[in-house]
Amino acid sequence: MTTRRFWVFLEQELGHVHPVSWELLGVARVLASQVAEEAAAAGDEVVVEGVLLGHQVRAIAEMAIGYGADRVYLMDDPVLEHYRNCPFYMGIEAIATKYEPEVFLIGATTLGRDLAGAIATSLGTGLTADCTKLEMGDVKGASQKLLLATRPAFGGNIMATIVCRRHRPQMSSVRPRVFPAPAYDPEARGEIVEESLDVTEEGARACILEFIHAKEDTVDIEYSDVIVSGGRGLGGPDGFALIKELADAMGGVVGSSRPCVDAGWISYAHQVGQSGKTVRPKVYVAAGISGALQHKVGMQNSDFIIAINNDPNAPIFEVADVGIIGDLYEVIPAMIKEIKARKEAQA
Amino acid sequence: MFHALVAIKQVPDTTNIRIDPVTGNLVREGVPAIMNPYDAHALAAAVEWKRKLNGRVTVVSMGPNSFITTIREAIELGADRGILVSDRKFAGADTLATSYVLAEVIRAIHEQDPLDLIFFGKQAIDGDTAQVGPGVAVRLDMPIVTYAVAIRAVDLDDATVVVERKTERWTEVVETPLPALLTCEKDIAEIPFAPLPDLIRSLRYEPEVWTMDGPITFDTEMIGVRGSPTIVYQMGTPPLPEPGEKISAREEGIEAALAFTFKKAQEAGVLQTMIGGAQ
Amino acid sequence: MNNERIAFDAIVVGAGLAGSAAAMVMARGGLKVALIERGQKPGGKNYFGGAIYTHAIADLVPDYMDRRPPFERPVTEAGFWFLGKDGLTRMTVQGGELNAQPADAFITLRANFDLWWAEQAQAAGAFLIPKTAVVDFIREDNGQAGAVIGVITDRPQGEVYAPVVIICEGVNNILTQKLGLINRDLEPAQMALAFKKVISLPMETINARFGLADDAHGLAVSVLGDVSLGLPGMGFVYTNKASVSIGLGVMLDTLAEYRLRPYDILQRYLDHPAIAPLIKGGQLLEYGGHLIPEGGYRAMPKLCTDGAMVAGDAAAMVNALHWEGTNMAIIAGKLAGETALEAHSRGDFTAKVMSRYEDRLSEGFILKDLRQYRGFSRFLETHPQFMDVYPNFVNGALGQFFTAYGKPKKELFKGMLGSLTNQRGLAKAAGDMVAMARSVMGW
Ligand SMILES: Cc1cc2nc3c(=O)[nH]c(=O)nc-3n(C[C@H](O)[C@H](O)[C@H](O)COP(=O)(O)OP(=O)(O)OC[C@H]3O[C@@H](n4cnc5c(N)ncnc54)[C@H](O)[C@@H]3O)c2cc1C
Ligand SMILES: Cc1cc2nc3c(=O)[nH]c(=O)nc-3n(C[C@H](O)[C@H](O)[C@H](O)COP(=O)(O)OP(=O)(O)OC[C@H]3O[C@@H](n4cnc5c(N)ncnc54)[C@H](O)[C@@H]3O)c2cc1C
Ligand SMILES: Nc1ncnc2c1ncn2[C@@H]1O[C@H](COP(=O)(O)O)[C@@H](O)[C@H]1O
Repeated sequence: MTTRRFWVFLEQELGHVHPVSWELLGVARVLASQVAEEAAAAGDEVVVEGVLLGHQVRAIAEMAIGYGADRVYLMDDPVLEHYRNCPFYMGIEAIATKYEPEVFLIGATTLGRDLAGAIATSLGTGLTADCTKLEMGDVKGASQKLLLATRPAFGGNIMATIVCRRHRPQMSSVRPRVFPAPAYDPEARGEIVEESLDVTEEGARACILEFIHAKEDTVDIEYSDVIVSGGRGLGGPDGFALIKELADAMGGVVGSSRPCVDAGWISYAHQVGQSGKTVRPKVYVAAGISGALQHKVGMQNSDFIIAINNDPNAPIFEVADVGIIGDLYEVIPAMIKEIKARKEAQA
Repeated sequence: MFHALVAIKQVPDTTNIRIDPVTGNLVREGVPAIMNPYDAHALAAAVEWKRKLNGRVTVVSMGPNSFITTIREAIELGADRGILVSDRKFAGADTLATSYVLAEVIRAIHEQDPLDLIFFGKQAIDGDTAQVGPGVAVRLDMPIVTYAVAIRAVDLDDATVVVERKTERWTEVVETPLPALLTCEKDIAEIPFAPLPDLIRSLRYEPEVWTMDGPITFDTEMIGVRGSPTIVYQMGTPPLPEPGEKISAREEGIEAALAFTFKKAQEAGVLQTMIGGAQ
Repeated sequence: MNNERIAFDAIVVGAGLAGSAAAMVMARGGLKVALIERGQKPGGKNYFGGAIYTHAIADLVPDYMDRRPPFERPVTEAGFWFLGKDGLTRMTVQGGELNAQPADAFITLRANFDLWWAEQAQAAGAFLIPKTAVVDFIREDNGQAGAVIGVITDRPQGEVYAPVVIICEGVNNILTQKLGLINRDLEPAQMALAFKKVISLPMETINARFGLADDAHGLAVSVLGDVSLGLPGMGFVYTNKASVSIGLGVMLDTLAEYRLRPYDILQRYLDHPAIAPLIKGGQLLEYGGHLIPEGGYRAMPKLCTDGAMVAGDAAAMVNALHWEGTNMAIIAGKLAGETALEAHSRGDFTAKVMSRYEDRLSEGFILKDLRQYRGFSRFLETHPQFMDVYPNFVNGALGQFFTAYGKPKKELFKGMLGSLTNQRGLAKAAGDMVAMARSVMGW
C-alpha cells in the first residue's frame, strides 16, 4: 500500500494566513476525491496534507485541519519567523524529499511565486504557474491519473493544459480567488507532525533590515464582496469619480481594466484580470469594459455580474448575469439614486 | 571591478497578440518581438551600477537566432558583452530546463570573470511564470531577492548588497551577501534613451553564440524537451460561459433596466449586498 | 564615452520609400550612407492604401521578384466603384494590361514592404540607424544659413556629419520647413487625411466576396460617391491575401469645416449596405490614419539647397487622382541619390550641383505628371457633385435600366435623365465633364 499525498503550502506571514491556503486545501480535496476510486482499487491511501513553516504558528496548523487537511507538517523555528527564500525552500525540500508528495499546490502570491520556482528546481520537477483549472485525469500511457493543470497562455488568448508525466511532485501555483474556500469544520480531526529545520541563521543568507509599510491606498480588491470596475469607456480619469460613488453606495471597492491603469487613470492595485487581480466578489459591476478575455479570466467567477456597455455586442455581456445596454453616464447615476432610495426605505 | 550579468529574454509584445477568428489559432505574424520589459528595467539597473562602480555588464539570452536583435538592444542600453545561447537541442525547454542552461552559462562566466550581481526580470510577459530566476539561484546556490524595486547599496569590499523588495503586504529592506541574484520589478530603474554612439555600436555588435558544441558542455538529459518535466498536453480556447440576459436602457428606459437588474439580483440572492447592507 | 565624430558620406532622413531608394543608389555608388529612421523598424508606422507599382521597384532592383518581396496580391482588377445611397455600381477592368507578368502593381502592407525595401538598401551597404529621429541640421559655420553638413538627432550625443543630406521625411515636412525650402505648413486645403482599417478574413472568403479566382488575383478600386458624406474625398478597397484594406481620404479643410471625426466617416462608409457584407465577420487588425499631400505641383517646396535635397511626400510628390505617390517617392529618391553621387564625384555640394536633381526630375514623369495634374485637388473642391450627384445618378439609372417596370422604355430614360437634370442642369453636367477632363489632362 502506498500513500498518495496531495500537498498544500500553507502561506502565512507573522501569523496571518493567506486565505489562498484554504482555497487550495479545498481544491486538493477535490483532486484527492478524483483519484479515490482508482486508489481504492489499488489499495492505496489518499490524503490531503498541509505544509506549514514559521515561528509559533501551531494554531494555524490546527485551523488547516478544520479546512480539510488530514495532516499538517509543521516546521516551527525562529529562523522561519519572517519569510526568506533560502530557509523556506530548503526546509520544504527536506520534508518533500522525505514524504514524496504526488501533487503540491502553492498560492501564486508574491511569496508563493518566490518559493515555488526554488522548490521545483531543488526537487528537479515540473511546475505549472497560475493555473485556473486543476483536475486529476487519465493521460494516455500513464498508469495513474495525472494532474491536468490548465493555465492561460499567449496573453490569455489560449488555455494550455500542462501535465508532468514522470517527475514528482506535480507542482502548480494557483492564484488567490480562482477557487472558492471550503467551509470550516470545527469537528474535523487530523494530525500535526513536527519537523525540524536544518538551516541556521547564517544559512538563511539574507537579513531583513526593515519593513516599510506603504502609505498609499492599498486597496485589497481580491477579497471584497462588491467591486465596481470602470474601463476605457469611462473616457478619462475623471470617470472614476462616478465609479467610486457607485462603489461607495454599494459598500464596495473600485476595480479597473488594464488600459485605464496603463493610462495612469488609476493605480495598478485596482486592476482586475490576467495581469492584475483575480476576483470573485458577490457582485461585480463592469462599466465601460468591453470584456476582453484577459479581463474576463479575472472576474468571471464572480457570483453576480452586471455589465453596463453601450455596445450591444460587447463580449462582456457573454459573462454578465445582467447586461444593461446603455451609456454608463446615464445608467450609473440612476443606479446610485436607486440604491440610496432602497437603502433609505430599509432604514 | 564590478561585474553584473543580466538574463534577458525576447518575448512577443503580448499587447499585440491576436487570435484568428476563424481558426482560433494564434496570429503571430506581425506581432513585434521586444525585450521582456522587466528584463529591460533590470538591465537599466545593472548599467546604472556599472557606471557608479566602474564595472562591466554581460547579458545572456537563451533562444533562437532572432534573439540577436534583443542582445543588440541590450548593448545599446549599455551592456558590454552579449552572449546568445542557442542550439536546436535547447528547443522546447520548460522553466526547469531553461534554468539549467542559464545556470551552466552563468557559472562558466562567473569562473572566467567573477560576478557580483545577477539580474533577472520579475517574470517574462509571455509566460508570466516567474520561475526561472529562483530556479537559477537554487542551481547556483546563490541567495536570491525577488521583486526587487530598488538597490540601496552595493558594497564590494564587504561583499553585500541592500535591496528593497516589494511584496503584497509591505516593502522589505534586505541585506544579502554577494554574489546574489535579483529578480526585478520595473521600479528598479528607468530605461534610458541611449546615446547615438551606443546605438551605433549595438547595430554593429556581433554577440557571442554558445551552442552544444561549445565553449561549455551541457548534459543532454537536462536540456530541451528531454530536460523538461512538463509538457503541453492540450491547447484550446477557453469555453464560453452561458450568457446572461440583456436589457437596453435606450429602448426600454433606464427605469426598466434598473428594475430588471434589481429583480435579477434578488433572484440571485445578492440584493442586500448590492444595496450595501449585510447579507 | 567616445568623442569621435560620427561621419558618413551621405545621410538619408527617413527609411520610407524615397529614403531607402536614395540610400540604395548611393551605397551602390560606393558611398558610406546613414539611413536614419525614427520608427522601431522601417515601415512600422507607415500607412498607405495600397498598391505599389513595379516599374519603380524594377528600376532599382531588377531582380526584385527573386528577393521575395512581401507582396499580398497582384492587382488584376482595378477601377472605380460608385456608391449610391444604398447601391453600388462597379466599373472595373481586368485582363489586358492587368495580366502582365509580373503585374504592373502589387497590393502590399507598408509595415512589411518598407522593411523589405530598407533591407535592399542595407544589402547594398547602407547603414540603417533606427529608433532615431532627426530634429535639426548642422550648418556650416554653425550658422543658420550655411550649407548643410550634417544632422542632429533626438539622442544624446546625437550629431551625424555628412556633406549631403537627402530629406525623405514624408508628409510631415518639419525638416523641409526648418531648412527654409518651404516657409509654411501645407494648408489644410492641400492635404487629405486618409484613414483605413485592415480587416482580416479568410482567403477563400475574400476570393468569393470579391470574385477573385485565387490569391494570385487582387482587386484595387477607388470608391466615389456616398463614401465621404458627399464631401471632396475618395474611398479605396484593396484585397490583401487574407485581409482587406479599406478606407478613404477626405480633404483636411473639409473635416475641419464640418467638424467631422474621421472615425465616424469611416464607420459610416463601412456600414454602407453595399460595403458591410464585404467585410462582415472580419476582425480588425489595424486602424490608422495618414496625411496625403494632395496639393500637387503648387504645394511643392524648393527641392534643394547647399548640401541637401528633398524627395517623396516631403516634396508633395503625389498624384492624388491615380493614387500615385509610392512610385514618385522611389524614383525621386533614386534621382536624388544619383545627384549626391555626382556631387561626391565632383567634390561640390553646393546648390548648383544639387539642382541637377531638379533637371533629372523634369526629364522623367514626376514633374511632368505633377504639372499636368496641378489643377486636380482644386477641381474636386469646386465640383462636389462628383461626390454625390453623379454616383447617385449612375446607381439610380442603372438600377432602373435593369428593372422591368412595364413602362415604355422611352419614358423611363426621360425620367432617368430628369433625375439628373433636376439636380444638375444638363449643360452644367456637360461642363463638369469638361472641367474634370481639364484637371486631369492639365489643360
Ligand atoms: C498579456 C495580456 C494581459 C492583459 N491583462 C489584462 C488584465 O489583467 N486586465 C484587463 O482588463 N485587461 C488586460 N489585458 C488587456 C485586454 O486585452 C483589453 O485590452 C482590455 O481589457 C480592454 O479594456 P476595456 O474593456 O476597458 O477597453 P475597451 O476594450 O476599449 O472597451 C471599452 C468599452 O466601453 C464601452 N463604452 C464606451 N463608452 C461608453 C459609455 N459611455 N457607456 C457605456 N459603455 C461605453 C465600449 O463599447 C467598449 O466596449 C491584457 C492583455 C494582454 C495581451
Ligand atoms: C491611405 C493612403 C493611401 C495611399 N495609397 C497609395 C497607393 O495606392 N499607391 C501609391 O503609389 N501611393 C499611395 N499613397 C501615397 C504614398 O504612400 C506616399 O506618397 C509614399 O509613401 C511617400 O513615400 P515617402 O518615402 O516620401 O514618405 P514615407 O513613406 O511617409 O516615409 C517617411 C519616413 O521618414 C521617417 N521620418 C519622418 N521624419 C523623420 C525624422 N525627423 N527622422 C527620422 N525619420 C523620419 C518616417 O518614420 C517614415 O518612415 C497613399 C497614401 C495614403 C496615406
Ligand atoms: N530564454 C531565456 N533567456 C534568458 N533569460 C531568460 C530566459 N527565460 C527566462 N529568462 C529570465 O528569467 C526571468 C523570468 O522568466 P519566467 O520564469 O519565464 O517568467 C525573465 O525575466 C528573464 O530574466
